[in-house]
Amino acid sequence: MNGLLPGVPLVTLITFLPLAGALALLFVKPGSDRALRLLALAVSFATLALSLGLFLGFDGASGLPEFVERASWLGRGLDYHVGVDGLSLSLVLLAALLTPIALLSSWRSVDRRVKEFSAFMLLLETGMIGVFVSLNLFLFYVFWEAMLIPMYFLIGIWGGRRRAYATMKFVLFTMSGSLLMLVGIFAIQAANFRATGAYSLTIADLAAAPFAPGLQTWLFLAFGLAFAVKVPLFPLHTWLPDAHVEAPTAASVLLAAVLLKMGAYGFVRLGLPLFPQAAAAFAPALSVLAVIGVVYGGLMALVQKDMKSLVAYSSVSHMGLIMLAVFSLNFEATEGALFQMINHGLSTGALFLCVGILYERTGTRVIADHGGAAARMPIFAGLFLASMLSSAGLPGLNGFAGEILCFFGIFRTSRVMAVLGVSTVILSAVYLLGLYRRVMHGPLKAPGDRRLCDLDRRELAMLVPIVVLMVFLGLFPGTVLRKMDASVSRYLDSLRKQAPVALTSRAPARPPLWSARPAEPER
Amino acid sequence: MSFLALAPILAVVAGALISLLLEAFLGRKGHELSATAAVVSLLAAGYFIVRSWNLELGYFAARLSLDPLALLLMAVFVVLGAFVILMSLAYASRRDIALGQLCGLLLIALAGLMIMVSSTDWLVVFLGLEVLSVASYALTGLRRSDPASSEAAAKYFLMGSFAGAFFVFGLAILFGTSGSMSLASGLSGGGVPSALPAGPAVGLGLIVAALFFKIAVAPFHMWAPDVYEGAPTPVAAFLTIAPKAAGLVVLLRVLAPVLGRGGTAAAVFGPVVSAAAVLTMFAGNLAALRQSSVKRLLAYSAIAHSGYLLVAVAAGDGPGLVFYLIAYLFMNAGAFAVLTALEGDDGGTATLDGLAGLGRRHPALAACLAVFLLSLAGFPPTAGFLAKFYVFSGAVAKGHVVLVVAAVLASLVSVAYYLKVIMVMYMKDAAADLTIGRDEPALWLVVFLCVFGVVQLGLWPGNLLTLIRQGSSGLF
Repeated sequence: MNGLLPGVPLVTLITFLPLAGALALLFVKPGSDRALRLLALAVSFATLALSLGLFLGFDGASGLPEFVERASWLGRGLDYHVGVDGLSLSLVLLAALLTPIALLSSWRSVDRRVKEFSAFMLLLETGMIGVFVSLNLFLFYVFWEAMLIPMYFLIGIWGGRRRAYATMKFVLFTMSGSLLMLVGIFAIQAANFRATGAYSLTIADLAAAPFAPGLQTWLFLAFGLAFAVKVPLFPLHTWLPDAHVEAPTAASVLLAAVLLKMGAYGFVRLGLPLFPQAAAAFAPALSVLAVIGVVYGGLMALVQKDMKSLVAYSSVSHMGLIMLAVFSLNFEATEGALFQMINHGLSTGALFLCVGILYERTGTRVIADHGGAAARMPIFAGLFLASMLSSAGLPGLNGFAGEILCFFGIFRTSRVMAVLGVSTVILSAVYLLGLYRRVMHGPLKAPGDRRLCDLDRRELAMLVPIVVLMVFLGLFPGTVLRKMDASVSRYLDSLRKQAPVALTSRAPARPPLWSARPAEPER
Repeated sequence: MSFLALAPILAVVAGALISLLLEAFLGRKGHELSATAAVVSLLAAGYFIVRSWNLELGYFAARLSLDPLALLLMAVFVVLGAFVILMSLAYASRRDIALGQLCGLLLIALAGLMIMVSSTDWLVVFLGLEVLSVASYALTGLRRSDPASSEAAAKYFLMGSFAGAFFVFGLAILFGTSGSMSLASGLSGGGVPSALPAGPAVGLGLIVAALFFKIAVAPFHMWAPDVYEGAPTPVAAFLTIAPKAAGLVVLLRVLAPVLGRGGTAAAVFGPVVSAAAVLTMFAGNLAALRQSSVKRLLAYSAIAHSGYLLVAVAAGDGPGLVFYLIAYLFMNAGAFAVLTALEGDDGGTATLDGLAGLGRRHPALAACLAVFLLSLAGFPPTAGFLAKFYVFSGAVAKGHVVLVVAAVLASLVSVAYYLKVIMVMYMKDAAADLTIGRDEPALWLVVFLCVFGVVQLGLWPGNLLTLIRQGSSGLF
């Protein structure tokens, strides 16, 4: 399978290279901030390069995990088992792409304890990638939980004034869900042992032999809670605005762009395949919660006074749409959801970077304190606008391609939901363009402020790649979608086999709009 | 029947006598010599433990039997004893504690512990328990100039004697009604396995209550925070780990067959153990939330861990219990070692506010404490996570789902206060200057070994797991 570099454990390298980098940082002399930053950046770029290799080398025709590595670790089913398939591939790339960008964004704003900061960012990268590549339930949980520690420190040490409160809330919310998931894992282990007489926590094995319906319900609730907190699904979202407002820019970017995706990814990777009947039974209720989140998040974003909490609430709204698509349980919606995760990661990441750039220059995130910045910062204005339009789903940019796929899928399952869900497009256009108008246009506030200069090379290096990707994915979404196709249909086939009633019986018809290949009639 | 069975205990007792004699005859000059003698005797005991592995030795008509469970626990005690002595080297001279007495008493306590975990006879268990108790009372009160230490010793002594009386009373009833002193046959003497003979059940209940007291299980835990806080810090490290480990092993030996067999006895004792476990976790964790002294916080956290460990007893999960105890040895001893390093010369223990800015001033020390606390909280990839994983998964496999849900919720509460300490260390700026300029290589060695243990057991516990499972295959 590993045609590109035969014999090289590529996935393991990508996962643990940042960890090795973090350890290497500990041996750099503490005073030399520049060397520390450069080393961390180099490591994250190396990881990105390897991930690109992974993406290009990934075939995706079989829908099965590729680049699989497996080794016995603790025994009794607690194995080291990693690999990527269409569901996780692009998310790995997203995490690998945004880490160096986030490190760049902290180049000047983080001036205290640079060594620890860079080390925690790299540890976080290992955790994020580890979650996406784990094919063993235990390993998944280890990464899922271990990732909390660097995030806790990133917000807690380099955060804003109320960081202690925000970071504790973040950890306790997340852990309350994930600890119940841990109990669920115990129950799975026990049930699986009773059924087969062997210990196995390989996700694929567990998905192949579903549990009894009663057990499934409990397990789905336990896992679902953990993922719903992370997404976050209404009404479990209250930690998110606090965490975002207090977090440093770099942590905000990764939190919004990658960590939230883990919740949605958790549903797709574990919640639905392992407990298909329970998931099908709960899908309507969860769809309602998701759509409430869409509308509620959008409305809340309208009235925010702080730029960061506006973007945070827009995340609640957009993630709601992704969850709605996930629970629609058909091909377009699922693929749209996965694609939209990437898009949302790019656009929200870019928005947080833009807010951070403004904050670095003016020292305030209150919208009313800003105005007319476009006159001083024309290049920034263009990039900021592009990110917003991507987030609002302007055709030609990536956000549109993802949202339209989601809506096609949601519409096939429930027209009411689709109509309600579309409100995200309207609302996000209103609040984002409103934000742009108030911040960038109008009379220049604080005109004597010389710091309000346009982007320097470092900031361009952060934003331009993201915007280029937005345009590229808007025009050629097939590059990413093609890699997902087989895995998504495999995933839906396995769901359909085990919970046939709740799923649409019609054969999925892929909109041929952006398909690089001719549409296949039956899957 | 082999003399080797007694060798570890004899080695420790000999070490204790030599330490005490050196202290008595050489006075202050004998301190380091007696510490050396103590460490040597521990090394000898360790050697005999390794020699006895897999030999299934017994002595006194098998009333002392060195099964793998006993040997693993003895090894834990030897390691802990060495840690405590290394932690005390500089601490004792700073605090005007006679090191020779500390070493001697510690070794006597270790002998008691070894007797407890290896005996199969109630009377011998009691013997070990009393040897342990008397030595621990004295250890607690070693800092004679400090009223808190004396108060703790007095409290411990009064409550401990009370528990000892319970134990003897229970033992009398048990022996009087069943005619057997054997740990294994306590409740099966009645003949019908499903029936619950009232006499032995009452006797066993009293003994279990006494053991609960030793393990600091709610509602018998009231003495524990005061004693742990008042005792000299290295001794507190010892008290939070060792008596608990021995008591739990005795409980496991008695209750595992009872609970495993089912019937009325299991229906009575099972819920009792589960309820005590839940009560202990929440009592410990909720009280720890409100503490401002780090030592007292760790004392309550030690109570909470008794609760988690009882989950393993409730499930009859020997391997899980042993693994948890070993992980707990490293993380708790490590945390107390850091606390020893932090203690000021004036005898004040570190308060939460006093830790402010520690991450800046002593990055290595703060990082180690953070590792221990994260492990105590059960974050992967530390030993504490795997320990909880094995114990809780074993309990779910036995059907104790509600118990485990309560346990994970309790650990959620615990995350709040463990992280609070870390937050103060890293996220608050220093109020007062806390200088730790002392050079204590022995203490650093303990901290390093504990960090090593926590990380090693969290990532590659393979060898130890094999050892535990291999040892326990015939037992549970």
